[in-house]
Amino acid sequence: MKMWDLLVCDVLRPAQDYVELRLQAPQPIDLTPGQFFMLRAGDTPDTYLPRAFSWYRSEDPSSISFLFRVQGPGTAHLASLKAGESLSAMGPLGQGFPLPARPIRAALLGGGVGVPPLWGLARALLAAGSEVLALIGARSQAHLVGVEEVRALGAQVLVATDDGTAGHRGPLTELLVGERVDALYACGPEGMLRRVQEISLAGGPPAHLALEAPMACGYGVCLGCVVERTHPDPSLGEYGRYARVCREGPVFPAGEVRF
Amino acid sequence: MDLSVFVAGLPLKNPVLTASGTFGYGREAAELYDLSVLGGVMVKGVSREPWPGNAPVRVARAPGGMLNAIGLQNPGLEHFLMVDLPFLRQYDTAVVVNVVGHDEEGFVEVVRGVTGQAGVAAIELNISCPNVKDGLLFSQDPASARRLVEAARRETDLPLIVKVSPNVTDPVQLGHACREGGADALSAINTLLGMAIDPVRRSPVLGNRTGGLSGPAVKPVGLRIVYDLAAQVGLPVVGMGGIETGRDALEYILAGARAVAVGTAVFRDPFAPPRIVGELAAELGRHGFESAAQAWAAANPQAREAVS
Repeated sequence: MKMWDLLVCDVLRPAQDYVELRLQAPQPIDLTPGQFFMLRAGDTPDTYLPRAFSWYRSEDPSSISFLFRVQGPGTAHLASLKAGESLSAMGPLGQGFPLPARPIRAALLGGGVGVPPLWGLARALLAAGSEVLALIGARSQAHLVGVEEVRALGAQVLVATDDGTAGHRGPLTELLVGERVDALYACGPEGMLRRVQEISLAGGPPAHLALEAPMACGYGVCLGCVVERTHPDPSLGEYGRYARVCREGPVFPAGEVRF
Repeated sequence: MDLSVFVAGLPLKNPVLTASGTFGYGREAAELYDLSVLGGVMVKGVSREPWPGNAPVRVARAPGGMLNAIGLQNPGLEHFLMVDLPFLRQYDTAVVVNVVGHDEEGFVEVVRGVTGQAGVAAIELNISCPNVKDGLLFSQDPASARRLVEAARRETDLPLIVKVSPNVTDPVQLGHACREGGADALSAINTLLGMAIDPVRRSPVLGNRTGGLSGPAVKPVGLRIVYDLAAQVGLPVVGMGGIETGRDALEYILAGARAVAVGTAVFRDPFAPPRIVGELAAELGRHGFESAAQAWAAANPQAREAVS
């Protein structure tokens, strides 16, 4: 974890309500897919707390981008940044996705604002010789993000939308039917994560879930972002009931959390 | 600039501490900077047994700050003594143990357990957490606050600081009760009881429904209560509530605080406590002071008369 002054290089609008901030760091950042940063999201009373975002793309070691949906004063401030301005960030934070020891066929599921970590994960898996099936979901075609970017890495990409305007109409997890994969990795809305968890725990492939939670600090001191553990460490007593999403997560094995 | 101060006989190298519940037991911040730059660390509340804390959601945004309803999740006394205290002992900073309990016996056993342990500089009795059942029990009735402080006093010779609640009609009356019970100092303020509502779910955002408001939004309330306590109770005060800068820290000292604690600011800026130490030195110089103690002595005249 480090504090960074990132330089805004470009602000892209890849889909309706979505912005990708492309930034340059003064030196290389050591990134694991699934890790996140706390971004300073303005200096008004409404943007007091920093905001947590997974990193999205990093074409070279000192470049980084964040992809997010503009939905409140913090994201509106971030979306208003201009090339040449700087952004204060802390990270990378938390435990990212663990990579398999040998090449596998992996399914990556990203729904809505949960798409960003898929890019880095797909790249890491492909670089290690794995096959990647990326399933990307959104409300409608206009809200789809990351499809071309993940495909360009060499992944097979399938799409699902709630309204059927692109790809499969219905839940993203339905695209798993008939697919043979060795592992699942998922990030997205709670309902989708719960479905991936069910599939995995009902004899399906092992799954890792990247969780999101309301967060104040991002580095483990506030205890605000907790999730219930299914197998608490008995030596910790009642203290072990919850894990911090920011520190022990945000990526957890599907069988270890209850939400 | 001489930043050293005393709080109830406890020497601090500077008046800047970290506030309980915003700093864990120091481990996370220690990855970022040397904790020895701090005047002190007021640790996360320690209870007799491990406590799980409240069910999520635990934090919510609020203008100029935030709401929290963590519920004092902590690993308990034994873990604190075996793991957390030895970690903090590596640093040259005053460790103030924040003590919590559901009842008098719970408080007293933790006070007894940390007394005499190497590296414990003082105790802060937390009778003002708004986020646990019975958390405010001892704050809402001065007589029961006094009895609890008396019971703790019997167990320890360490400086005994009582963290009083802003969620009462008259914090000064509560402060008097704590002094009569044997408190050496007061700390103020804890968070202000509040709520956030989610229109989509048509219900409170926080799992605990209510939470504590903190951050810059509460600074005027903190200054008012610290001023009144310092002027009227006759005990030294550790001031806190919305301190983000050295200027804020100086304002608290001029309201009558001997020392200050930085809380919610560390969520926005993990380096806030060491930054504020530096800023406070500059602010003191800018306002013509030669030391932090001198600024305190220039505080509101009633405070000077009451405490000196």
